[in-house]
Amino acid sequence: MAILDGAAGHLNTVGYIVLMMIGFYAMTGKSNLVKKLVGMNIFQWSIILFVVSLSAKRGASIPIVLDGHGGDAARVLDAALYVNPLPHVLMLTAIVVGVAITGVALALLLQIHRQFGTLEENELLERLRTSTGS
Amino acid sequence: MKLLHLVATTVTGLLLIMGSLDLAETGDPAAPAATHVSPRYIESSLEETGVENMVTAVLADYRGFDTLGEVTVIFTGAIAVLLILRTGLKEDEE
Repeated sequence: MAILDGAAGHLNTVGYIVLMMIGFYAMTGKSNLVKKLVGMNIFQWSIILFVVSLSAKRGASIPIVLDGHGGDAARVLDAALYVNPLPHVLMLTAIVVGVAITGVALALLLQIHRQFGTLEENELLERLRTSTGS
Repeated sequence: MKLLHLVATTVTGLLLIMGSLDLAETGDPAAPAATHVSPRYIESSLEETGVENMVTAVLADYRGFDTLGEVTVIFTGAIAVLLILRTGLKEDEE
């Protein structure tokens, strides 16, 4: 199986894609709006995990300098000994934005439930059709 | 309809997996992500910022304005939540 040999170094990526497709299916195939929101969060987290996994380097440690202030501060560090810090930083921003999006979406869902008494897509569309018709 | 969603999901997933095979292997020290920009931060962030944690150094020093924008996003989200929830209360009172 050539495709399996090629995927050996990408097993985590395949896992993230499976996770992403679970979120994709929940977003498109489910009719409950809360389930759609959960699917969106799963999708988002699969991307975050994938980008963080890009920072991995074999034989490298976490990007924190031990005895950074005790030793010689002007020394040049070996880039091969520390994992890439940039994906961590960027995904920290993405997590924060995701929390804000989730909060606003939950508030909107609460509002929809207050107004219409349901979060099922079909019932909401039916409700909207009858309310505009009358 | 469920079947259509399942087929679309499977096809998209397979296309993504096929595309991801061209990526560098996970943990490869010679991957493009590990060789272009990041060595600059790893080698000189301690000297330039004096912060031991490189993630903190990049987040709060090199990308300080980015973090400021992040705080703006949180603030806007909080205001939006308050406005959405308060609007509902007023309409309930009427």
